[in-house]
Amino acid sequence: MSNSHIFLKSGFIRTPSQNGVGRYVCQLQRVVLKFCKNNGSSRGMREFVESELINFAKNNPGVVVYLKPRRHRAPVISAEFLNGDKQWVSCHNYSKQDISKWLNLLRTQSGNTTGFRLRKLQHTDHPSIQGPWTPYTFKDPAENLAEYPNTELSKPKIQLKTATDELLEIFNSVQISDKKGVE
Amino acid sequence: MAGALRKIFATFARSYPKPVAQLLPRLYSNVPTPYEIVDAQEERKTYQDVIDKVNRQVAQAKQGRLFAVVHIQGKQVKVTEGDVFVVEGYWPPGAGDRISLDKVLLVGGRDFTLVGRPLVQRGLVQVEATVIEETLSHTKTHFKKKRRKQYMRINFMRVPQTMLRVNRIEIVGEVNHPSDVTGLETRVF
Repeated sequence: MSNSHIFLKSGFIRTPSQNGVGRYVCQLQRVVLKFCKNNGSSRGMREFVESELINFAKNNPGVVVYLKPRRHRAPVISAEFLNGDKQWVSCHNYSKQDISKWLNLLRTQSGNTTGFRLRKLQHTDHPSIQGPWTPYTFKDPAENLAEYPNTELSKPKIQLKTATDELLEIFNSVQISDKKGVE
Repeated sequence: MAGALRKIFATFARSYPKPVAQLLPRLYSNVPTPYEIVDAQEERKTYQDVIDKVNRQVAQAKQGRLFAVVHIQGKQVKVTEGDVFVVEGYWPPGAGDRISLDKVLLVGGRDFTLVGRPLVQRGLVQVEATVIEETLSHTKTHFKKKRRKQYMRINFMRVPQTMLRVNRIEIVGEVNHPSDVTGLETRVF
């Protein structure tokens, strides 16, 4: 993965006017389908207009749909969102299905998100409910009253036996068994 | 003295074949901590007390803001009411859909936490969310190269992203009081 994305414009999740808190509002305001009536590159677009556009408009009463025939120009979808963003999709040689898919994407978007990197995939206004963790959470409150320097608390938590200790232990045990033998 | 030394080495030789782990004090272990239940009845009383407290708090609606850890698309998210989060990858729900997130791994309030093993009892918690946006991420560059092998590939991709708004987290059932028949919540008769 290259690092080119770090030069992109970036930011955090933005939701226009608390969308979805009460109900969901489609953020696509207006869409203009531009195409040529005879050029081959607009064929998919013409088919879409003939067969599927009526249904799209019927299912999305909140979206204004314009058709703009223009001679000998490539087909284009131009979308305007409620937040003022404008997005432009070139549909050169796109099939009917492609156009349907792209139009659907524009419908579900809340603005022009191309060239915008999300820094976090989560947003919350209440980062902690039980209180954030601190080094003192779940610690014995008696430690608050300890006086320092404190030999007991300054010791490492896990202290391994040194070789000398081990030898001494064995030596002592041997001595004990020696004594037992003598008795 | 010489006899004592010989004995030391003898004991060493005997202890040497033992695995090192046995010589060292145990640092990590899978063995459960040894414990002793002093009085089973007392124990039951204690936890029943805690459960009753939680139930009472929920019944009186004094639990305050709740948070939950939900499992979604193979990932776990910690959410509370009003949060927005993004689900990455292909995911069928469409914009405007209101869905309930059923795989709840943990629910917590100010004073208590209910931890699922692995899921919290079905029907105890309701987490509802609305799909507010379906979009594509920024263009990610996928570049591969092998040195000295004349191999280089570059691909560009945009990952589908679905944005969800959490509308409601609520404890609807009673803690430690599962219904007699479970598993019928998702069935359509």
